[in-house]
Amino acid sequence: MAEERRGSWFGFGFCGFGQAPGSGRGRQVLSPEPLQTPGSGADVRRVSASWSYTALVTRGGQVRLSGAAGGAAGGCRDAWASEALLVVLRAGPGRGAGPELQAWAPASAMRGEPLWARALGPEAEAEGAARGEPPAGAARGEPPAGAPPLLPLLPGARAYVSPRPPFCRALAPELRARRLELGAEHALLLDEAGQVFSWGQGRHGQLGHGSLEAEPEPRLLEALQGLPVAEVAAGGWHSVCVSETGDIYIWGWNESGQLALPSRSLAEDTKTIPREASGLNEDGSEVRRTARGEDGAPAPFIAIQPFPALLDLPLGADAVKASCGSRHTAVVTGTGELYTWGWGKYGQLGHKDTTSLDRPCRVEYFVDKQLQVRAVSCGPWNTYVYAVEKEGS
Amino acid sequence: MPGKPDYPGGGEGRRVPTKPNKWSPASGQLDTTRTRDRLVEGPMAEDTQEPLAGAGALREALRALLPPTKEELALELGENVERSVVQLLQEAAELFCGGRRSECLQASEAILDYSWERLNTGPWRDVHKDWRRVYAFGCLLKAVCLCEEPGDTTAVAAALKVCDMGLLMGAAILGDILIKVAAILQAHLRSGKRPGPGPAQEPPSMKKARYDPVSVPDMMSERTVPRLHCPSLEHFRKYFLVPGRPVILEGVADQWPCMKRWSLEYIQEIAGCRTVPVEVGSRYTDEEWSQTLMTVNEFISRHIRSEPKDVGYLAQHQLFDQIPELRQDISIPDYCCLGDGAEEEITINAWFGPQGTVSPLHQDPQQNFLVQESEALYPHETHLLHNTSQVDVENPDLDKFPRFAEAPSLSCILSPGEILFIPLQYWHYVRALDLSFSVSFWWS
Repeated sequence: MAEERRGSWFGFGFCGFGQAPGSGRGRQVLSPEPLQTPGSGADVRRVSASWSYTALVTRGGQVRLSGAAGGAAGGCRDAWASEALLVVLRAGPGRGAGPELQAWAPASAMRGEPLWARALGPEAEAEGAARGEPPAGAARGEPPAGAPPLLPLLPGARAYVSPRPPFCRALAPELRARRLELGAEHALLLDEAGQVFSWGQGRHGQLGHGSLEAEPEPRLLEALQGLPVAEVAAGGWHSVCVSETGDIYIWGWNESGQLALPSRSLAEDTKTIPREASGLNEDGSEVRRTARGEDGAPAPFIAIQPFPALLDLPLGADAVKASCGSRHTAVVTGTGELYTWGWGKYGQLGHKDTTSLDRPCRVEYFVDKQLQVRAVSCGPWNTYVYAVEKEGS
Repeated sequence: MPGKPDYPGGGEGRRVPTKPNKWSPASGQLDTTRTRDRLVEGPMAEDTQEPLAGAGALREALRALLPPTKEELALELGENVERSVVQLLQEAAELFCGGRRSECLQASEAILDYSWERLNTGPWRDVHKDWRRVYAFGCLLKAVCLCEEPGDTTAVAAALKVCDMGLLMGAAILGDILIKVAAILQAHLRSGKRPGPGPAQEPPSMKKARYDPVSVPDMMSERTVPRLHCPSLEHFRKYFLVPGRPVILEGVADQWPCMKRWSLEYIQEIAGCRTVPVEVGSRYTDEEWSQTLMTVNEFISRHIRSEPKDVGYLAQHQLFDQIPELRQDISIPDYCCLGDGAEEEITINAWFGPQGTVSPLHQDPQQNFLVQESEALYPHETHLLHNTSQVDVENPDLDKFPRFAEAPSLSCILSPGEILFIPLQYWHYVRALDLSFSVSFWWS
């Protein structure tokens, strides 16, 4: 197999606080722009974006902030940004010591003292290594997709970090968590066996158990039982998972079309692209005229989808990665394309406008530039994408 | 197995209590009343397009209302509101005072969108009041910025809609400034408005012709609520308030200005362009029931004047806080002074809808005076197991609920000018027999 080229990161959407990709002036970027980072963009191996600032984690272990929070610090192997807290995972003080979890006030620029810090102990390191997590301080040249981002899940996966107290929350011992994602009021967990659990508030259907009841403890998503799931992503009030066979399941709140289901508010919004536009989109998807089901009969608008619904991408594309912002969704396909849908007011869908969409649309920028998308990471109102040049181009 | 999206009950996805409920009893006890939050949706567009005279006067009036300096155009916020938001608020105020309206508008939008997300996070009762104040602040700046251009009616109507959103979901800021801004915008719209189109002189009583006597519920027991004419405070207290017995008070409200003044035309003139929450669907226990926002004009034209597609009900809304002009037409019954709470803590709700609106059997945690402003109303009480009963009072499933047949009950028809006293936690069921505007007072 030909060697993977180094790629770079792009960003689009809200940057009202001057965070990447904005240059500090505009409030939003409507089409993907390369991130301006010192050194090459390939240096960044993880992006974690909160509403008012973005944290970039480089291969060299640096965390760089832009936006309402600035500054940089070294010795970090992972970072997780929220409005209340910037959480970083730093190498421990000495050889054999485990990593240290630190929580900083974002405005502190990681100078002075963290709000709190917690040594995770060498066991966490050892357990992590057994699971294939890179050791602290790793600076290898693999693409970002190779190093699984763990935060808010802590190394060792026995606990996770929360932006609200209690800040460190334990997970039940029987849960073997591979990945954990937090929404505005719920949590999703993907375990080693590919099963999905959810808990928290359910009033917007985001838990996927078929009701609007809250769940205090992680509860298995029975609707997906037996289906090996590869990836989960949590938006503000919606949830997405990608199966190992490339299928997308989605559930929760659809108020801006973030579930790619017919949304009443989009249909009634006078700024929506008129649905009378005929023909096909470039990516081959049919422009929907009105909310219609498969058989052409009028389909109802859906505000809340309380259990997983299967979502087809145009042209039968299969999904490999997913990420959600507050009210939008982004998916990477096996062939390196990026699809986005949902709330688009700040350009976070990357379609050069501010239209919200209730159906998946390909981000043409990457096709036009002959870039293969490999990873996507959404902030609440923006989207960051890692892409490599196509081979032989 | 997961399949294509399908929502139980069909129709629009269930808009069950998910969004903030501003319309909670002032005492803060929220969820035991009708156990609902309110869904707040994007408002629908007004469609008048006329250019408006006096746009300069409007700008002056608004400018006079707002604090002149950015230091005064500020909120005192606690630590629940993050520094980044405070920063954005300050920036927006600075842009406003610096006359940079389009940039201020952008900043206000971001403030609105972010605080809106916070209002929708977690149960409404847990939403910190500071977030509602931030939301109101965003609404204030956006509304005033929208009026910056010497615009046509559309811009001013849009600004009024934004004010109403701030009133419905936000919390009072800067001396209740949104009420004042709304009043100015409303007056501006009314001065420029053409007379309402259509059969404007149609009296509401025309709807009487549609009253179908067959639909009167079959009562289990025909005991009616007793009636008294202007009882003394002590008599009411001793014989009804303390023992918790319902009574209809006559001669108390019949002289209120609303009795003579209120008609569809009057309501539309005073409040037509104001955005209000409307419940759509036969009753709030139905799966197809939903809540939405629309202007009073839209509500009247869609659900009252025309042959409505579905039942619309402007229910349980503190309309008189939102539109003080209407508040002047009603009074607080003197009997409320027998309670412990202060007058400011009394929650006044409006209930306005066509024939056929139903409030399913439920109970409230406070004393209630229900004043019938116009046309007839049919309340009915009985015992039950939950805050809102599972029993359909007008068609009880006696196999499932056999004891309902024995439940003692009282019934009455409430006519204009009459006040029904519904004691604390007394189960009651209400159906409008005709076009009806009622006002309720929840007091303790």
